[in-house]
Amino acid sequence: MDSVTVASVTHAEWIKFRTVRSTIVGYVVTVVLTLGLGALITSAIRGHWQTMEPLRKLTFDPVSTSLGGTLFAQFAVGVIGIMFITSEYSSGSIRTTLAATPRRVQVVVAKLIVLVSVTAVVAEVVVFAAFLMGQRIYEGVVPTASLASGAVLRSVILGGVYLTLLATLGFGLGLLLRQQSAAISVFTSLLLIVPIIVFVLPQSWQTSVTRYEPSSLGHAMMSVTPSLDMFGAWTATLVLASYVVCVVVLSTVTLVRRDA
Amino acid sequence: MIIVDHLTKRYGDTLAVNDLSFEVRPGVVTGFLGPNGSGKSTTMRVIMGLDAPSSGHVTINAQRYQELKAPLREVGALLDAKAVHPGRTARNHLLALAVSNRIPTSRVDEVLEFTGIASVADKKVGGYSLGMSQRLGIAGALLGDPPVLLFDEPVNGLDPEGIRWIRTFFRSLAVEGRTVFVSSHLMSEMAQSADEIVVIGRGRLITQGTVDELTASDAGSVLVRSADNAALRSVLEAAGNTVDTANDGTMTVRGASAEAIGQAALAAGVALTELTPQRASLEEVFMDLTADDVEYVSSLDATNHG
Repeated sequence: MDSVTVASVTHAEWIKFRTVRSTIVGYVVTVVLTLGLGALITSAIRGHWQTMEPLRKLTFDPVSTSLGGTLFAQFAVGVIGIMFITSEYSSGSIRTTLAATPRRVQVVVAKLIVLVSVTAVVAEVVVFAAFLMGQRIYEGVVPTASLASGAVLRSVILGGVYLTLLATLGFGLGLLLRQQSAAISVFTSLLLIVPIIVFVLPQSWQTSVTRYEPSSLGHAMMSVTPSLDMFGAWTATLVLASYVVCVVVLSTVTLVRRDA
Repeated sequence: MIIVDHLTKRYGDTLAVNDLSFEVRPGVVTGFLGPNGSGKSTTMRVIMGLDAPSSGHVTINAQRYQELKAPLREVGALLDAKAVHPGRTARNHLLALAVSNRIPTSRVDEVLEFTGIASVADKKVGGYSLGMSQRLGIAGALLGDPPVLLFDEPVNGLDPEGIRWIRTFFRSLAVEGRTVFVSSHLMSEMAQSADEIVVIGRGRLITQGTVDELTASDAGSVLVRSADNAALRSVLEAAGNTVDTANDGTMTVRGASAEAIGQAALAAGVALTELTPQRASLEEVFMDLTADDVEYVSSLDATNHG
């Protein structure tokens, strides 16, 4: 008899993922925020370029500024990840899912395959579009960057990786907390509140702690030359990825151990 | 065949199921009866591998649920009809279920047709009535054409036509040799749709048997009306039976069969005008059995029953 495999469960999760409106809305918001706010930010910079301080012009990064919309889109992808699992808990359908797939790790793996691959494709397409659009807006007035440069290409690609990692982080938090509102609160706190708490710390701590914040890691990933108090782009990627792996592993262990 | 073997399930300090053992045989409809909060749903969740037993174990056709290679082909269950993403259509819900267990997708249309919801299959489940949701839940249970089926409170929300349909349907599943396990807190429902009954209260097994055995177990009382109740009464009481005389001229005799009462009346020369063996309704049996095990008693009931 054909048995339940990761492949069959992934197929099922793909059907479930694409047949609810929240997924579609989430990706549309991701695209609109990344492109819309990218256009807004780059246009504003173009408009103020002539009057900008020389020091800021010196450290100006045409790549990370063109990807500025991702700082807003990160919440949209996070919510996609959160809803992918918490909607099963709020409706109770998690029991149907787990009855159909008693090896619960398979459910997590299948959902991750679907979430990561779809988000990666959407995120990479949208960050490249935002980058190209930004350079187009800068052209003639503000210095532009080219994908021919390895560092620029890396920054743009890692912009998409950042969004994908945050969607996965949202999924892990949703699986751990099982409640949409709780997961969204924690997710938002990690990105917005933690930096505020760090800001209250003594100056000497701030510099060493700030670089570990998810949003700082994201900034480092998308910068052509990350500032000296930040991690390098690849190190930042690894640090963020290890956060995500920790949350996903922890939440998977709880899923396997706890009653459904 | 489902075997529940010394199952105990604790949630913190609450003992939901307490050393429960019973078997559910194939080929008959087995009712799972108990007051609200008696542990029926917990037992069903443990059978389905959703909750882990605190001790004891459960097997389905000699396998633990977690060991089933394609569970939907071996066990179909309706646990909570409303447990479907409200924004998804019935067809997509069933399609995902089918695909996960490598069930041919043609089964989706078959079960939609069979349960009578084919016409609303492409509507979002959030707009379904409870009755339609129950039918979708049943469709999901049938998807893998499994030999073992579990239904938790399946008649809730069904209209009379739906209830009749579901009774006939359970019967036909059993006739095909499947194991059919149906929970309910309504004894009248069970009396009509089940062959065997497992009764639990406060997580413990109260009794298990066929509907006939259960209703007969409290029998042994006979309704008697005669030309001379007083004479007959003294004869019967002398023979060691208990006799209650009612105002309407009938007597309820316990301890003697109808035949023995007839013989006694003949010997005493009293003409009988009525002689009816009494059968307890399943409802009465159930109330008697679970009286001490009801978790939630309203204050009105508490005063009435002392």
